[in-house]
This record gives sequence, C-alpha cells and structure tokens, in this order.
Amino acid sequence: MTRALVQKIVLTLLMLFFSIVMIVPFLWMISTSFKTPAEVFHYPIRWIPADFHWEHHLKIWTGPNSFVHYYLNSLKVALLGTAGAVLLSALAAYGFARIEFKGRNALFLIYLSMMMVPPQVLFVPKFIMFDWAGIYNTHWALILPGMFTIFGVFMMRQFFLSVPYEISEAAFLDGAGHFRIFSRIILPMAKPSLATLAIIDFSWHWNDYENALVFLIDQDLFTVPLGLQNFILENNVDYNGMMAAATAGIIPMILVFLIGQKYIIEGVASSAVKG
Amino acid sequence: MKTSWMKRQQYLGYLFIGPNMLGVLLFFIVPAAYSFYLMFTDYKFMNPDTNFIGMANIRRMLQDEVFYTAIGNTLLFLLSVPLSIGLAFVVAVVLNRSVFLKKTLRALYFMPYITSGVAVAFVWMLLFHPNNGPINGILRSLGVANPPGWLSTMDTSMYAIDIIWIWFMLGYNMIIYLAALQEVSGELLEAAKIDGARTWQTVRTILWPLVSPTTFLLLITGLIMSIKQFGIIQAITQGGPGNSTTVLSLFIYQNAFRYYEMGYASAISWALFLIILLFTAAQWMGQKRWVHY
Repeated sequence: MTRALVQKIVLTLLMLFFSIVMIVPFLWMISTSFKTPAEVFHYPIRWIPADFHWEHHLKIWTGPNSFVHYYLNSLKVALLGTAGAVLLSALAAYGFARIEFKGRNALFLIYLSMMMVPPQVLFVPKFIMFDWAGIYNTHWALILPGMFTIFGVFMMRQFFLSVPYEISEAAFLDGAGHFRIFSRIILPMAKPSLATLAIIDFSWHWNDYENALVFLIDQDLFTVPLGLQNFILENNVDYNGMMAAATAGIIPMILVFLIGQKYIIEGVASSAVKG
Repeated sequence: MKTSWMKRQQYLGYLFIGPNMLGVLLFFIVPAAYSFYLMFTDYKFMNPDTNFIGMANIRRMLQDEVFYTAIGNTLLFLLSVPLSIGLAFVVAVVLNRSVFLKKTLRALYFMPYITSGVAVAFVWMLLFHPNNGPINGILRSLGVANPPGWLSTMDTSMYAIDIIWIWFMLGYNMIIYLAALQEVSGELLEAAKIDGARTWQTVRTILWPLVSPTTFLLLITGLIMSIKQFGIIQAITQGGPGNSTTVLSLFIYQNAFRYYEMGYASAISWALFLIILLFTAAQWMGQKRWVHY
C-alpha cells in the first residue's frame, strides 16, 4: 500500500469516529426509549438494552394526549403552510425575476429589508392582531403567516434569473403570455428548486416551536414540539417516555432527510453561496 | 432585446407579486410598524388603558440589570458561531479530498441540522444530567473527579448551550464550506504539491484565504441566525438557572409572554433589530474587503 492510501484510510476512520460522535445523541435517544428506568443512566452505557421495552412508545402513541393527535396537527400545519409558501414564493419570484414593471426594485428592496426584522419584533403585534382577527389559538395563526417566506422568494428568484431569457422571448413570439410561460415552461423547469424549497420549508414548519409557543394555548391544537414539551412537563422523571417522545418528534425529519438528501444539501449549499 | 419583452404586460408584475405582497404587508410590514409604535407605549395585554410614554421603555431598558445580563449571555452564546465555523472548516477540508465514504460522512455530519428543534434539546438535557448523565459518566471514568454541572449550574449553563449549538450548526457550515472548496481549482493544489508545500501550509496559505469570503458570510449569517434563536434555550432552561441563560431574544419573549409587558418587550426587540442591522452593514462593507483573490 502506498503512503497516500494508508493516510486516506486513517483519515476516513478518524472522520467516521467523529461522525458517530455527532449522531450519538440520536443513538442514545433511541436506545434509551427501549430501556427500563433503572437502565437509563447505567454506566458504562448499555447501547443495546437487555430487553426491548415497547411500553414507553406505546404510552406516547395511545391515551388522551397521544402523539397521533400532535402528528395530525403538525402535518396539517406543515403541509398547508408549505404548499402555500411554495406557490406564493414561485409566483412572486417570477414577477421579480422576469417581468419589468414600475416600482419593482423598490418593492424588492422592501423585501430585502424585511429579512433583517427579527421574529421577536413581530411576535407582540402579531399576537395582538391575531387576537383581534380571531385566529389566535387556531392553526391559522401558524399556517397563514407560514405561507409567506421571504427566503423562498429569494431562492426561487435566484433560479428564475438563471433561466435563459431566449426561452421567454421565443414563447412571446409564439403568442404566449406571462401566465402561460410561467405555468407551462418556467415552472416545470424549476422542479428541483421547488422540491428543495418544499423540503426546507416543511422542515421549518415541522420543527417550529417558537410560533406554536406564542400562538397556541389549547392542548388539542398542539403540534409535535409543543406536545413534546407538554409530555415532559407532565412526566418529568419518565426519562424513557421522554426519549420515546423525542424519537417520535425526530424520526419524520430523519426520513425526510434520507429521502430528500440531495435536494436539501444542494439547496442549502446554493442558497448561501449565491447570497 | 431582453428588455423589450420583459416590459410587456407590465401590469402582470403586480398580479404575480400581489398575493405574496399582501402577506408580507400583513405579517411583516404592518406588525413591524405596530411594534415600533408599541415601543413608546405602556401596552400590557388585557389592559385597556394604554398610554403614550415616550422614551420611558428605552430608559427602563438601559437601567435594567437583566438587560445587561442578557447582553453578556448573548455574547457568550455567539462565541459558538466562530467555534462551529472553525470546526466545520477542518471537517470540510478533510472530507473534500482525502477520505472514502465522502457522501455518507457528509450526511452524518449534517444530520443534527435538519433534526433541529426541541426534540433534540430534550435529548441533550438528559445527556448533560449532572449526576448520572452519560457525559459526566464518561468524564468520571476518564478520571475527572468533579465533572461540571453543565445546564444545572449558573457558571456552566451557557457553555453547555454553546456545545449544543456548535453541534447543531456544524453540519450547515460544513456544507457551505464544501460547496466553496469545490470551486477551488485542483490545479492550484497540485501546483502547491509540486512546490513541496506541506498539507498544513497548503491549507493555511491557499485554502483558508481562498474561502475567506465564505468564512465571512458564514460568520455574519451565523451571528444573525443565532442572535434570533431562543427556542432551544426556552425548551431546556427557560433562561435559568437564575438568569444565566437568558439571552436577549429570550429576554424579549419572557417580557412579552410571561410578564405581558408588551410595550417594554417591543422596545427591547428594536434593540435586537439594531444589532442585526449592524451585522448586516458589516456584511455589506466587508464583502468588498474580504475577497482575497
């Protein structure tokens, strides 16, 4: 073996070791969710429990405050929010990228500046406004604002700018208008970008704890992060149940990641490099 | 040419942007303006009697000890940003050229980022358990007689949060570095090799300067992203023990929704906005200077 090959193998093993350190919290979580209470803090750590105990998982998936309920709430909020966000972002991005109209640059500047406003500035007024409009403590308080993502507009605009203009020109000469060009030509070309935005946006909605914390109070409206918090408040020494609940919260994101890995990684990489 | 067709059907521009603009107006612009107004009032939720009190909230903020504690905690929290970036650079350089299983490794390092949120925070809460947690178990078996109390003691809690945040951000920073490193030409590195440059030298004198715009971008966006974050901290410690993990964004949340001091919370939230504005300005000015090639 050459020296370079040995070096490569050693580095691979080293990086593999550190990557396992990175995912150890997940492994420990899953392992703990199958243990007995006595085994939780047993040291040295028993990665594979002596017996597999399913009752902690059973506990969180059944009964009055079951995760079935939280899952349905989260799915509703995340799917509706994501669908709206992808559609509205694509429409606006097309307007910004491929139509020239009066005030476009000024409007875009307003969008830019809104990116700097932290959510903390908006929570209080939104709370008051939602209360007034009657959507406070309903899922609409998460879904409606969730449909508007400035990041999404930027991302899609970036893609639309990269589509050659000759394509639109040719379509115009054939008598097509903007709506036809958008729906028949540009949107189909943008499928990978749309998928990326959809996955990233879905993960935001699924993981969103802060908005749910501010805008929901009724337990039967709780999304998964709030359900998880609620479980922990009510069962603060049931560590096995806690880890079963955490597993339930994390597994969907791991599945989404495994399925959409290519889109997620490329989307994250391109969005930041292009600024 | 290009502009002639782009200017056709101009009115459609408003139709395409209209629906989105309406939402941005309702959920960003109007609330922002409303919050700006609230900053100068003593608005409290459920209290019908709201008065215009001028600069009183801002004066109160500048005299509030907890505000300065929160600023200090925020600075400690932001320490995690450069640390995470530094680690990510090392990981990215190694993954970029000199390992097998590159894609698998990349996915493993990235996983914490996508599974963010409170679920992971609760796992860390147990990992950091001061008496029996696995982290202190390992430390004890390595001969540390009195391992730190992590999240449970005032002088270590912020650092424990930093560790969680470094772990969380690492994968994101790594992905961005990997994308930047792919644009570094292989020829340049080959030339350095022929010149007999050592690996360390190549990294320090060629790679690091070449990716400096990326480093700068990651630093600013990381600072902005982190300074807005409060979910994980609220979930694990609620700002405690004492006020030892009350960062600025959490301080705003608590004033608004624990004490219902919404006028005061609005004033502090605009202080947060000012900090973000400074970071953004630094980004605009720095972008020109930091490009080294």
